[in-house]
Amino acid sequence: MKILVCIKQVPDMESRFKPSGDGLWFDETDLAWRMNEYDEYAVEQAVQLKEQLGNEPELTVLSIGPDRVVEAVKKALAMGADKAVHVQDTVVHQKDPWQIASIIASYARDKGFDLIFTGMQSQDRGSAQVGVLVAELLSIACATTLVGFSYSDGVVNVKRELEGGLKGLVSLQLPALVTCQLGLNVPRYPTLPNIMKAKKKEIEAIPVANLLGEQAIAPTVEFYPPARKGGGVVLEGDVADLAQKLVAILKEKTTVVR
Amino acid sequence: MEATREIYWNIGHGVVLPMYLLVTAAVGLLVWGIWKRLDHWRQGKPLNRFDRFDERAKRMIAEVFGQERVFRVREGGIFHAIFFWAFLTLFIGTLLVMVQADFMAPVLKANILQGRFYEGFSLVLDLAGLAALLMLAGLFVRRFIIQPAGLEITDDDYRVHALLFAILISGFLIEGARMAATEMVTNRSLALFSPVGMLVAMTMANVSADGLLLMHKVLWWLHFALVLGFIAALPYTKLKHILLVSANAFFAPLEEKGAITTINMEDEEAEQFGTATAADLTWKDRFDADACISCKRCQDRCPAHATDKPLSPMKLIKQIGEAAAAGQETSLVEAIGEDAIWSCTTCRACQDICPANNEHVNKILEVRRNLTLMEGAFPGDEVRTAIGNLEVNGNPFGMAFAARADWAEGLEVARVNEGEEADILYFVGCYASFDKRNREVARNFVTICNAAGIRVGILGKDEKCCGEPARKLGNDYLYQMLAQENIETIKATGVTKIVTTCPHCFNTLSRDYRDLGLAIETEHYSTYLNRLIRDGRLALDKAEAQECTYHDSCYLGRYKDIVDEPRAVLNAAGWRVREMDKSGYDSFCCSAGGGRILAEEKLGSRINVARVRQAEATGAPVLVSNCPFCLTMFEDGIKTGGCEETLKVRDLAEIIVERIGGGA
Repeated sequence: MKILVCIKQVPDMESRFKPSGDGLWFDETDLAWRMNEYDEYAVEQAVQLKEQLGNEPELTVLSIGPDRVVEAVKKALAMGADKAVHVQDTVVHQKDPWQIASIIASYARDKGFDLIFTGMQSQDRGSAQVGVLVAELLSIACATTLVGFSYSDGVVNVKRELEGGLKGLVSLQLPALVTCQLGLNVPRYPTLPNIMKAKKKEIEAIPVANLLGEQAIAPTVEFYPPARKGGGVVLEGDVADLAQKLVAILKEKTTVVR
Repeated sequence: MEATREIYWNIGHGVVLPMYLLVTAAVGLLVWGIWKRLDHWRQGKPLNRFDRFDERAKRMIAEVFGQERVFRVREGGIFHAIFFWAFLTLFIGTLLVMVQADFMAPVLKANILQGRFYEGFSLVLDLAGLAALLMLAGLFVRRFIIQPAGLEITDDDYRVHALLFAILISGFLIEGARMAATEMVTNRSLALFSPVGMLVAMTMANVSADGLLLMHKVLWWLHFALVLGFIAALPYTKLKHILLVSANAFFAPLEEKGAITTINMEDEEAEQFGTATAADLTWKDRFDADACISCKRCQDRCPAHATDKPLSPMKLIKQIGEAAAAGQETSLVEAIGEDAIWSCTTCRACQDICPANNEHVNKILEVRRNLTLMEGAFPGDEVRTAIGNLEVNGNPFGMAFAARADWAEGLEVARVNEGEEADILYFVGCYASFDKRNREVARNFVTICNAAGIRVGILGKDEKCCGEPARKLGNDYLYQMLAQENIETIKATGVTKIVTTCPHCFNTLSRDYRDLGLAIETEHYSTYLNRLIRDGRLALDKAEAQECTYHDSCYLGRYKDIVDEPRAVLNAAGWRVREMDKSGYDSFCCSAGGGRILAEEKLGSRINVARVRQAEATGAPVLVSNCPFCLTMFEDGIKTGGCEETLKVRDLAEIIVERIGGGA
């Protein structure tokens, strides 16, 4: 069996974001980077499947971006992936989900992957489109937002998270693509021997130009922080006064009290 | 009449040969016992504890003959120390008799045991025997009648007590019988130099001369047999502690306290990190288990044990010994229990008090290394998150690394990471950088330094966690990554002096970073402020006298011997310290050491509440600490322990900043 896991390196969400000069994405100064959370679930599930099948499957991890993404790739290798593909692209943030999916699909098309894992979405752009687009481009089965996964005899059984707390069970024939959601598993912490081994694993570098032939169909127009809302007001004093003050404010600023 | 006595009186010199043969046989049994055990120790991995021989030998002599470590706990320790000295005196006396009887007399035809010397010799040995008997009685009452909580009583204890009593009592009876037949009749003035023997002899006044001779002979052989038994039993009973504890005073580490081996991350051959099975133990780990005398002093001081967590340092040492005995495949985590392994706060109270010099803390850290580095295990999911945060943002909170120096806004600090110059580098640490309460401490420290004319430099957003919590949880890989980045940053600034407000950063930078190539003088602000005050650079106004109690952070007191300086700083600021029962080297942990700062305390009761209650019991309204972890834990402990009305916790810097300006 051949497995592909697509991962993205994203800024830590606690970082301080500023729009970049062109106003189309964020400035990378002072950002801390990590593997997209949902992609960690994807890597973990792929490694668990590999272990379930006695390590027979070959597990490839793929990431698109500048050189810094190799850090995320190394983590996936340390978690248990066999080899990696780094699609080199210094302006990956200018690509729309369609282009990203096309890059992945053109890499994967002739490789014969039986199963592709991706995160449900990325933490920074959050389009949740790349996985399904790749499946569509490769004409393979697809299930999204996985919170449960099992595999036996060529059939993937998954549990999907639906709206309102509902879950759905789906069976897929291979080849297939699944996108992973929070709750699917607890990603492992790489052990030191595996970190050491990962350093020797192959990372194939492919210039993005070799894989990309598509134009953006949903380009970003503007990136800006949300408008600052007014600060909260803390009322102080004894309870009777507080009630009076609150009523006064509600009358003055809202239509709740008439 | 000349003061002396005939050696082998009533026994005859014909006894010499069989006596030496029997002693040789007994010593043979002793050596055999040790020899057999050598095999067990040797199955451990190598570790050099024979280097710096002179230093080790000196320490051993001081600790064994001075009974320093035994004496530190008065309860039980006084009895033991005096018993030891008395028994040693008896042993030396016996050696003198041997030298006289079997060397001086036959070879040199001389007698050293006569005259004033013999009188003194008699008196000293007689009193030593009495002292030994009284101390043994004290130990007997303590162990079998009072039965201190946690002290185990085994058959071995009964046997050894019986043997020692029998040796001492039979000794006095022989003396009494001999004196009743000789000195009491012919030289009563000499008898006065053996007061106990004389008393015993007086009880035998009615025994006939032949009866005395017979009694003496029987008792002599009995006493001799008991002594042979003592020698032969040494390796097979708890008496082995005489040999093994003494040896451990030689084998104990000579490195700085708290030193941990730094794993070589370049070693591509390495397949095992930390202790997984008995096969990974060193010979010293195996030896320590045998050297443990079950005095339970460690257990008495363990904050985890005191709050009903599944850890006893004493049991841990024994469990390691049992695992080693069960075979090389035995899992240490299974033998000790994972909860026990994670419960340790590395406060070092156990190791500090251990009379046998056993090394508890690093054994735990090695098992943690295996759990963390080989199995990716954590004490809880909150720790998994915190470790992830350390990897991404260099702090356990997950705050943006770029916000690390926000606390310093508006203060006079030099950004040494951006090329500015400063007198000292203040290594701020994560808590003082991000935790609201501790950020005040950082600001106060800078204000104090400025008042003393010191220009403070910081690394700003380039500073990262020192790595201590990760390291103490076993993650040496993450520790080394963080350390190496810090070291590179620090070296690039060219600073020559580092000051920290966190004892954990202080320990790590001043000791652990040495292994990774940082050799810049590093100090904790307690000693730094103390010197500024002493040198007259920092003037304090001590007008208003106030009372507080002071908590010794484990990593200042026990690890770094910094006990007096913080108190001196408080005194210089006009504060009087009311000591808690557990202070100085006997201080009780706040609960946050050993990486536990990142973990929730889910087992047993809360350590921080226990400590806050101890502070409250002094009656002082203020608890002063000088560690961000302690401060955080005590703020929490005061709330959850319901001490808000009676106790406030303040950092040393907060106290001092109020007293700046002595001249005013």
